[in-house]
Amino acid sequence: MSTTSSSEPKPGEAGYVNPRGIPQAPFIEAVEEYVRSRDQVESILQSFQEMLSKYKYMEMSTLRRAAGLREKIPDIQKTLDTVLFLDSKRDAEEPTMLTTFELNDTLYAKANVTASDSVYLWLGANVMLEYPIAEATDLLTAKLKAAQESLKLCEEDLEFLRENITTVEVNTARVYNWDVQKRREEKEAGERIK
Amino acid sequence: MADQQVDLSLLSPQQLSEVKSQLEQELEHLTQSFQKLRQAQAKFQECIVSVEKTTKAENKGKAILVPLTSSLYVPGTIEDVENVIVDVGTGYYVEKSPKDAKVFYETKVSTLQKNLGDLETIVNGKAGNLRVVDEVLRQKVLAAQQGKTAA
Repeated sequence: MSTTSSSEPKPGEAGYVNPRGIPQAPFIEAVEEYVRSRDQVESILQSFQEMLSKYKYMEMSTLRRAAGLREKIPDIQKTLDTVLFLDSKRDAEEPTMLTTFELNDTLYAKANVTASDSVYLWLGANVMLEYPIAEATDLLTAKLKAAQESLKLCEEDLEFLRENITTVEVNTARVYNWDVQKRREEKEAGERIK
Repeated sequence: MADQQVDLSLLSPQQLSEVKSQLEQELEHLTQSFQKLRQAQAKFQECIVSVEKTTKAENKGKAILVPLTSSLYVPGTIEDVENVIVDVGTGYYVEKSPKDAKVFYETKVSTLQKNLGDLETIVNGKAGNLRVVDEVLRQKVLAAQQGKTAA
């Protein structure tokens, strides 16, 4: 279907695969060249439908990933800010402060917190580690940046996918119309012979 | 709802299946609400246990890990075993003694229990209606297939 070239295909050319492995859908310039006879139409339309469903599935999973990231990023930001706050408190005169913390969804209790050199980070999957404040800050900053990068890539992928979905839908429509036209022509030719 | 019982035999099969799907939707919705109420009730039970555990007199000054955000904890000590703060809704937080907090949560639990009971009655009623509609629909379809004219 796509021609292989000696150099890497560029975006927009057939055969291009985006950084996340999503292949570009070929755009059919002239239906006549693509479809040799009317028998091929069925199988071609079917392969288009397959491509379309694959693209739509990828679009859904990318959307979900992006939504998850959008939720996590404010959390990471909050945690980072709190760690920096603790760091600043450490050098203040009153390193001990009274805080109200969440025991349960609607239940809070008071506790005394002394700003120390280390914090505990919950990494998920029942894993919690103690980090010195500097390391914790670095870790959280890196996590935040990675999440924001991922989100950007997800949004790029979504753009790319939507373009390709449109391309495949347009191709399907054109092949179908060509087929309808050809059918009409053959019918007229048949009637003329009669 | 009562008028539906009378008219069921006069409805055409299409209308009957519409009524049926409407009832199914309502039933699903009500079942979901039922589940959510159950969950909320379980959470309030948890709160009661949490209150009891943290406010035992010997816990004052005990070392705990205090959550500052969902993934950040710091070591601290329990400061106050005489009071807890309860979110009573609409942005109001009230400081209560452990006993009052427990009473508050227990009231919530029993209110939810009553709501659950009422909801269960409604759900059963709807399920019954659904069965009746289904039965009438089936009879109609059978009658139509046998070539008799349906209403």
